[in-house]
Amino acid sequence: MIGSMTALNHMIDSEMDKLRACVHCGLCLNVCPTYIERGDENDSPRGRLYLMRAVAEGRLPPTTSAFARHIDLCLGCRACETACPAGVRYGRLWEAVRADIAARQQPVHLIGRFQRFVLNRLFVSRRRLRWLFAPARVLRRSVLLDRLARMPILPLRLKKVFMLLLATRPPRIERFRPSVQSDDVREDHDADRTTTFPTRQAVALFAGCVGRELFDHTNRATIKVLQEHGRRVINLKEHVCCGALHVHAGEVETARELARKNIDIFELSRGETLITNIAGCGAMLKEYGELLADDPDYRRRAQSFARRVRDISEYLMDIGFRPGPRPVNVKATYDAPCHLFHAQRVTKAPVELVRRLPGVTFIPLAEAHVCCGSAGIYNLIHPQLAGEILHRKLNNVRRTGADVLLTGNAGCLMTLQSGVIEMGWDIQVMHLIELIALTYE
Amino acid sequence: MTNWIKELQSIVGDENVLISPDELLVYECDALTIHKRAPRAVIFPTTTEHVSRSVKVLGEQGIPFVARGAGTGLSGGALAEAGGVIIELSRMNRILEIDWENQRAIVQPGVINIALTQAVATRGYHFAPDPSSQPTCTIGGNVAENASGPHCLKYGVTTDHILGLEVVLPDGRIINLDRHGAVALGYDLVGLFVGSEGMFGIATRITVRLTRLPRAVKTLMADFPTVEAASQTVSDTIAAGVIPAAMEMMDQATVRAVEESVFASGLPIDAAAVLIIELDGLPVSVDYESSRVVHFCRANGARHVIVARSEAERERLWAGRKNAFGALGRINSDLMVQDAVIPRSRLPEVLPEIYRIAERYRLRMACVIHAGDGNLHPTLCFDGRDADELRRVDAACKEIMELCVRVGGTLTGEHGIGLDKVKYMSLIFSEADIEAMARVRAVFDPRGLCNPGKVLPVHRCKAF
Repeated sequence: MIGSMTALNHMIDSEMDKLRACVHCGLCLNVCPTYIERGDENDSPRGRLYLMRAVAEGRLPPTTSAFARHIDLCLGCRACETACPAGVRYGRLWEAVRADIAARQQPVHLIGRFQRFVLNRLFVSRRRLRWLFAPARVLRRSVLLDRLARMPILPLRLKKVFMLLLATRPPRIERFRPSVQSDDVREDHDADRTTTFPTRQAVALFAGCVGRELFDHTNRATIKVLQEHGRRVINLKEHVCCGALHVHAGEVETARELARKNIDIFELSRGETLITNIAGCGAMLKEYGELLADDPDYRRRAQSFARRVRDISEYLMDIGFRPGPRPVNVKATYDAPCHLFHAQRVTKAPVELVRRLPGVTFIPLAEAHVCCGSAGIYNLIHPQLAGEILHRKLNNVRRTGADVLLTGNAGCLMTLQSGVIEMGWDIQVMHLIELIALTYE
Repeated sequence: MTNWIKELQSIVGDENVLISPDELLVYECDALTIHKRAPRAVIFPTTTEHVSRSVKVLGEQGIPFVARGAGTGLSGGALAEAGGVIIELSRMNRILEIDWENQRAIVQPGVINIALTQAVATRGYHFAPDPSSQPTCTIGGNVAENASGPHCLKYGVTTDHILGLEVVLPDGRIINLDRHGAVALGYDLVGLFVGSEGMFGIATRITVRLTRLPRAVKTLMADFPTVEAASQTVSDTIAAGVIPAAMEMMDQATVRAVEESVFASGLPIDAAAVLIIELDGLPVSVDYESSRVVHFCRANGARHVIVARSEAERERLWAGRKNAFGALGRINSDLMVQDAVIPRSRLPEVLPEIYRIAERYRLRMACVIHAGDGNLHPTLCFDGRDADELRRVDAACKEIMELCVRVGGTLTGEHGIGLDKVKYMSLIFSEADIEAMARVRAVFDPRGLCNPGKVLPVHRCKAF
C-alpha cells in the first residue's frame, strides 16, 4: 500500500510542471461533458486537476473515495485539452492517476473486476478474442437478440450489453444504395482513377480487435476505398489490441506488452502507413512513442511507428480524396469522436470528406465535438450519467433532421446506434467510410 | 450531522449538498488562485424557491453565504469568507424566454454567456458583453461583477444590457427590479444591483437586452516596435472620434505565450506590442473608419497592418486574444492579474513605468490591455511556492495600483474589488465614501450575511 502511494507521488512529481501549468482559468468547464451535466467542479477538468495537485502537495490523501470517484467519473474524452490555453496535458495526467488507483485498490465495481480479467487475460490474444466474440456474432444474427435487448425484466446493464451488440449489425444501406441507372454518374471516373494513381503504394490496415470481430463490414469498406485510391492494402492478420482499453483502465504494463507486439508486426509487414478506422485505436497507436518512452529497445521504433499512423479520414485527405461517381441521396450529419477530434486533432478532414460526396446533403451537428458518453465501457459502469450525456447528444442529432448519422469510432457508433434504436428513430448510424464506399458501387 | 445541513438537504436534495472536505477543496478559489477560503458546504439549487428557502435556513443560523457561477472571477469575489456556504448556481442554466419582438431574453443566472449568444445568433442577435471567459462564465456572474469585455468599448458594459432582475434578498424575500428600456421607474435599483459583487442578494432571473449583430465587421491586426507606439495609436484613434467595436493590446510576453498554445493565431512574436482592432456597423462606415485606423497605425510606426480576410481568420485572432490569460500559465504557474483603469491618453507614459516596476521587483510580467477603455491587465507570473517572490508580487501590485491612481485612474475596470482589492479601496475612497456604500449595502443585507468580506474594507458583519 505504502509503496504504491509513493508511486503516485513519484508520478505526480514528474508531471508536476504539467499540473502546475493549470492556472484555474476555467475555460475547460463547459467543454467537459460531466461538468455540463452535473455543474459540480469536482467533475470538471480544472477540478480534477486541482484534486490531483492536492494529492501531490499532500493536502488530500490519495486513498479518499471522493478522489477515486471523481477521477473515475471522467470520460477521458480530452475535450479539455483542445480548450486549454495553458496546454495542460490532462489526458496523460488522468491516465497516470488511473493507473495508480488501479494498482492500489480493488476495483469498486464488480464490472471493474470483470473488466480487469477480460483486459489482461482475453484481450491480449487474438485467438481468445475470437472465442470471446464467437457467441456474440451468432447472437447478432438472430432475432432473439432483438427480443433480449427489449426484455423489461433484465438488469439495466445486461440490457445495455445486448443493445450495444444490436448496434453492431451492419448498417441497413440497401435503401441508400445508388440506383445503377442514375444519370449523374460521371462516365470518366474509371479512366481518371488509373491515371491518377500510377504507383501501388502498400498500406497496412489496423483492423482493431473488436473491429475485426464485430465490424468486418467497416473494414471491408475501408479496404475498398483504399483500393479505389490505388493502394494495396496489407491486412495485418496478427496484430493485437492497441492497448487503449488497458491504458484507460490503468493497466499500463499490459498495454506496453501489446504495443511491442504491434510494432513488431507492423515493421514486418513493410507497409508505408498504418491506417485505422477506429479513432480510439488511432489515438493510442499515435501515442506509442510516449507509452514506450522508457523502453530502451523500443523507444525509437515506437516513435517511428507512431509517425506512420493515420486515421482513414486524414489519410484520404492527404492523398487527394476522390469520391466515387454514384450519388447517395441522403441527409447526413457527423458526430466527431473525441479520440479523433480532441486526442488526434483530426478536426476538419471527416467533414470535408462528407461534403464532397455526390448526392449527400451535409447538415452540421450542434455540439458535434462533445462526447456521446460512450468512452470505452463507461456507459456500462456509469449508465445513468452516460445516459444523460447520450440523451443530450441524440436531441442534437434529432434537430438536424438527418437520416444518416456518421462517426468514426466503433464505440461511439455502438452507443449512438443503440440510443437511436431505443428512441425508435429512423436514423442510421454508420462509419463515414461506409458511406464513402457506397459511392463506388 | 447538524440540523441546518439536514434542512438544506431537504430543500435541494441530499445529492445536491456537498459537505465532505475532500469535495469542498475545489471550491476554495476562483480563477485568481492566490486567495483560498474553503467553504463549509456547497449547495446546488435549481429554482428560485430553493435559493430563497436555503438563505432563510442559513440566516436563522447566522451562517454567511455567497453565490457562485463558473468561478472564473479574478478578484476572489466568489469565495466563501468566514466559513460560509457556497450557493452554486451552475444548474440554474435555462434560457426561460426569448422575446424577439422586444429584443430581450429572460435567463436563469447559471446560463453561460456564450450559450445565450449562440441561442439567438441564428436570428441575427447577440448578448453584447463578451468577457474573455465568455465560453464558461455565467450571466449571473456578469451581473454581480458588472462584467465587461473587448466589445464593451462600443456596446457598453453588462449594466447597459440588463433590463430586469428577480432577486432573492439575503433574508429570503423575493423582489423584482425592473427597468423599461434604459429608464427605471422610481429608483434605478437594477443599476444599483448590477455590480454589487454578490453582496445585495442573489439574482435568480435576469432579463437581458439582445443586440443586433452588426451588418459589417472588419478586424485588423497591427504590430508595433514599442508599447508606446501602440498606445499612442489607441489614443489618436479615439481622440479623432473613431470608436472601434474593440481595441485590444497584447504585449510581447503575452503574444509569445498565445503563439505557443493551441490558439496560436499567427501573431508576430518579435513585436513589442500587437493591437487587435475591430470596426463594425454599416459597410460604408466600417470602410471609412478602418482607413482612418490604418492611417493612425502607420503614422505611429506599425510594422504590419493586416486585415482578417475571412470569418475564420477573424475568429482565430479573437481566440488568441481571449485565451491570453490562460496561456500565461506557460510562463509560470501562478498569476496575479491587475485590473486598473487609467485615462487612455496616459497609456504611453504609464505602461513603460509599470514594466519598470515589475523589473525592479525581478518579476516576469505579461500585459493585456483593453486599450480603448484604458483598462490594463498587467499580469505577474510567479511561483507561489516561493515566499520571497510572493512578497515581491504583493509589493509590486501595490506600486502599480498607486501609480494608476496617481495618474487619475481607478482600481478595477471589470474584475471587481472582491477580496483581492479591498486593501486598495482607501487609495480612492474616503471613509465617508465607504460609509455611504456600507449604508446602501445594509439596506439590502442588514446582517451582512451575503458575501461578507468583499469590497468594503470595514467588516460590518460579525466574524465567525
